[in-house]
Amino acid sequence: MQINLLHRPAQALAQVWLEPNESIVAESGAMVGMTTNVQMQTQSGGLMKGLKRMFGGESFFRNTFTAHNGNGELLLAHALSGDMSVLEMTQHGYFLQSSAFIASSPTVNIETKVGGFRGFFSGAGVFVLKAVSQGPGQVLVGGFGGIQELMCDGNIVIDTGHLVAWDATLTYTVGKSGAGWIASYLSGEGLVCHFKGQGRIWIQTRNPVEYGRSVGSQLPPRG
Amino acid sequence: MLQAPVEARDSRMNLATEGRPNVDPQQQQLVPAAPAGAEAPAYRDNSAQASIPHEITHGPAFAMLRVDLPPGQVVIAEAGAMVARHTGVAMDVKMNAGKDPGFFGMLKAIVIALIRKVVGGETFFVNHFSASQGGSVWIAPTMSGQVLHRRMNGETITLSTGAFLCSAGDVDMSLKFGGFRALFAREGAFFLEVSGRGDLWFTSYGGIEAIDVNGTYIVDNGHLVGYEGALTFDIRSAGGGLMGMVASGEGLVCEFKGQGRVYIQSRNHSSLLSWLRPLVGG
Repeated sequence: MQINLLHRPAQALAQVWLEPNESIVAESGAMVGMTTNVQMQTQSGGLMKGLKRMFGGESFFRNTFTAHNGNGELLLAHALSGDMSVLEMTQHGYFLQSSAFIASSPTVNIETKVGGFRGFFSGAGVFVLKAVSQGPGQVLVGGFGGIQELMCDGNIVIDTGHLVAWDATLTYTVGKSGAGWIASYLSGEGLVCHFKGQGRIWIQTRNPVEYGRSVGSQLPPRG
Repeated sequence: MLQAPVEARDSRMNLATEGRPNVDPQQQQLVPAAPAGAEAPAYRDNSAQASIPHEITHGPAFAMLRVDLPPGQVVIAEAGAMVARHTGVAMDVKMNAGKDPGFFGMLKAIVIALIRKVVGGETFFVNHFSASQGGSVWIAPTMSGQVLHRRMNGETITLSTGAFLCSAGDVDMSLKFGGFRALFAREGAFFLEVSGRGDLWFTSYGGIEAIDVNGTYIVDNGHLVGYEGALTFDIRSAGGGLMGMVASGEGLVCEFKGQGRVYIQSRNHSSLLSWLRPLVGG
């Protein structure tokens, strides 16, 4: 499998080349186009797994795309304008902010985890995904805006709304951004993730929830 | 009169160019201390005029700013603009009342904050970031768009509310009332007057275009980012009269007179909202 990223950075499109009988698992709704020899199979992986995913902010179903009778091409995109990154699987795996997940190799196991109970009010960080695999594999993630890789040496604090993914070697706690709860509220920063340990963190340069609130609060209520 | 802005635009095309984060031509013009053709951008100087080390990346569509705080320096940012920071960087929330406001200054800030809350506009709290051991803070605006750096050497620049991202150094800010007529427009009711010596970063919805005005120039209210120089402006309807305002769809415009530079943004928040409004809720 080979993934090329086109139209970066503002409107990234992933071009996935599948070898004969090779598969990729993608978030429902991510498919843009494909050659006719690629077959799509929809699966929830069981009711409980599907429900858990729904709570995690993803869709109930996930689609598996497989190339039959030769090579296949598949195009994938994210819902929001922005960049994408291909993460090569490591021994420890990754944590992903749930809406950042676009696709992964079938060898990669994606589990929904509770990401910190206090993240409940932030709109991000209640559930996170953990990507692990025994062997090599890839995960395709998408961000809102640009994606920037930061090196953490036990010393980074990140707004939960700007997180895309991070190495599972890092430990984190979700907490208030300032010294006290009132200061945190007034600061407008919402909740932040305090990272400990060493590893890489990928952030997105725009915050989807903040953007949604900024625009959405000035629109009439749905109804 | 028409020729001037066109020329100006050509000469500063690379203002918005991606991948040249620090060396905006404007900054170099404004810091004459930097020798012509010098490789190091002005901010690396150790002179009093040097800017704080910083980098703007991911522009023009989704620009993000990183400021590398030396010990003792403070960056003041719009509430909610922080993306990330090193653990050693402290964040303090303060009311945006300007420098040494005193009692009446604070009172004025509260009143203005309430008015802004009603007419729409950003928060009136700002965050002060400082690092006793040094450290970085990453800052980004909410909307898609560019971030521009402006080295302030005693000039005054007037920004639309929402265009301010952050500042460092001896930079003072005060709110300016745009006139009663401006109250009818969502934008333009208040302006932020920034002056002093230090660094200013401002932002836009969309790309930022700098227009050098010599004479008069008209800008749509919603597209105005800011202006500087010997400019005065009047807020009026685009077509003249109430009918012209309603029928043209252009709303209110700012007519600038004098000599200076006007910054405009290629997108307009109100237009986005009025496009979305009928589509919500079906």
